[in-house]
Amino acid sequence: MGEKILMKGSEAIAEAAIRAGAMAFYGYPITPQNETPEYFSRRMPELGRTYLQAESEVAAINMVYGAACTGTRVITTSSSPGISLMQEGFSYIANSDVPCVVVNAMRGGPGLGDIAPAQADYFQATKGGGHGDYHSIVLAPHTVQEQCDMMYDAFDLADKYRIMVVVLVDGLLGQMMEPVEFKDWADVKSYKTPDWATVGQGERSNRNIITSLEILPEDLEKMNLKLQEKYRTIEEIEVRFEEYKMDDAEYVITAFGTTARIAKTSVNMARKEGIRVGIIRPITLYPFPYAVIEKRVNQVKFFFDVEMNAGQMLEDVRLGVNGKKPVYFYGRLGGMVPTAEEIYTAFKKQIGG
Amino acid sequence: MATIQEIVSRETPLAPGHRMCAGCGISPIVNTVVAASDKPVIIANATSCLEVTTTIYPFSAWKIPWVHLTFENAAAVASGIETAYKSLKKRGKITDDVNILAFGGDGGTYDIGFQALSGALERGHKFMYVVYDNEGYMNTGNQRSGATPFGASTTTVPAGTHSFGKPQWRKNIVEIAAAHRIPFTAQAAVHNLLDLYNKAKKGFGADGPAFMAVLQPCTTNWHYDSELTIAYSRLASETNFWPLYEVENGKVHINYKPKERKPIEEFLKGQRRFKHLFKPENKHVIEEMQKMIDEEWERLLQLEAAQVRF
Repeated sequence: MGEKILMKGSEAIAEAAIRAGAMAFYGYPITPQNETPEYFSRRMPELGRTYLQAESEVAAINMVYGAACTGTRVITTSSSPGISLMQEGFSYIANSDVPCVVVNAMRGGPGLGDIAPAQADYFQATKGGGHGDYHSIVLAPHTVQEQCDMMYDAFDLADKYRIMVVVLVDGLLGQMMEPVEFKDWADVKSYKTPDWATVGQGERSNRNIITSLEILPEDLEKMNLKLQEKYRTIEEIEVRFEEYKMDDAEYVITAFGTTARIAKTSVNMARKEGIRVGIIRPITLYPFPYAVIEKRVNQVKFFFDVEMNAGQMLEDVRLGVNGKKPVYFYGRLGGMVPTAEEIYTAFKKQIGG
Repeated sequence: MATIQEIVSRETPLAPGHRMCAGCGISPIVNTVVAASDKPVIIANATSCLEVTTTIYPFSAWKIPWVHLTFENAAAVASGIETAYKSLKKRGKITDDVNILAFGGDGGTYDIGFQALSGALERGHKFMYVVYDNEGYMNTGNQRSGATPFGASTTTVPAGTHSFGKPQWRKNIVEIAAAHRIPFTAQAAVHNLLDLYNKAKKGFGADGPAFMAVLQPCTTNWHYDSELTIAYSRLASETNFWPLYEVENGKVHINYKPKERKPIEEFLKGQRRFKHLFKPENKHVIEEMQKMIDEEWERLLQLEAAQVRF
């Protein structure tokens, strides 16, 4: 670990990705995350790494796909409408078993929407997004520091499972300046080209083939089942969450990313008034921490889900609760960010306050 | 032939109060192009400075029918409008003639919207596509585009110890459009509105697709005093950096030939995006730029002289 530096979230995330071993960046301009590619454009050439601005998001994600096939640590960053354009590429990447990292700084939608912070891409990120049966691992940091630490995990998980990892942030985390401490630089020189990478046959006796195509349905089914097997493993061992003041909690707020951070303040307000409420904050949105929800079902009176959307993670919380307790919801839409007081007031209504 | 006085006395499609930067030339380009139409105009506008600054919710600066669409699809939506219009007319539901106009910035035209543009030109829809070219993604903070000139420093090709700015020459979008064998393509600039008007008139009158690229110096991201927009546009023509010409039914005609071509430094100096080029170590960049400009101009003269069709 180094010294603490005051950095803007959208630039810190790029620096962290670079230190975590990102060797290539491909992207396309879109607000509210232009500072991230701009930061890459300055730093990558200095380090002899690749920065390339594509002619569209469709091109950018397919460049990522190409680089990922060589086993190179590769990243792209974008925001909601740009991420929508990339979905076809995501789907190909998923069924081709190649690793990459994608940062989505979510903005208000649908359509052109606005450029304010939102969390309305939860469904798109966690349930697949593109066509076919697939998932990406989805990480949701709630501070600039966590966002930086997570870039290392993102690349490691991507390599470990040969999967796309989405880091889901928003413009609020991007524009915020906070002190960050970066982990040590990844030793990129020690990385060996993976044996599956398509970099020329060389000394190998076999030819590597990366494809998402199987013409015969029985073969494609096998390919799909293999993918599903991978997802079951990930669901078993990669679930991450944070419990905040849950030990004695009678009520629980569920929230991720920016809203979880705001809700922590709401919880402290409640605690001052003697209301025992805690937070379950999913860190991996896929795989979703259903088990911790199930574990707390008998302990608490109800669940109160808070999001900057119309209730997306809400569906996963309800699956975890499975009808055993009420699940209430408070959401702001279109780029509106709730205040801690607002969340607290909405929460108090449910306990009759 | 209209005079400037006649053109500016027509009702403008843009109401005052839009949020363009002081010194921006986009509104005179839009007003002049639309003034050249003797029929009602329908506009399809890609995501761009023009779109963002004229439609700050819940307001609109547009006094004529206007639609915004995704960044990459101005030409596709214009194609749809044109096809629907033809169908309505055929069925007798509409009797008036209209002109269909697509506006895009250079990012939405040279880069992400290129596929839709090429498709629309190839299918031969009767519409005009106008790119106001400010040589980068100015709406999102000056990232490089396919139109950014060689040597310019942008936020995604920053000049520094490892770079002199953009290492590629810009795309020749006018010749690319002309290569679709469409009846009219042209290159114009904001300092010469009469020339722009005449070209727009020809474009609207063409029997098929028309395409125009109009230079629009960007006070915000080229970084110069806002009163100098027209001066820089003029210098771009006087240095042959941005020749004014048209390709009518495949034949090149140059509209302006400087008596004495000014050196490219005249255009570069005072713009912060080119400031680094005046360092001694970057002298070769300006030399290369000058060489390319002169070669391109020579080629254009030959195309005009030969009168060989595109």
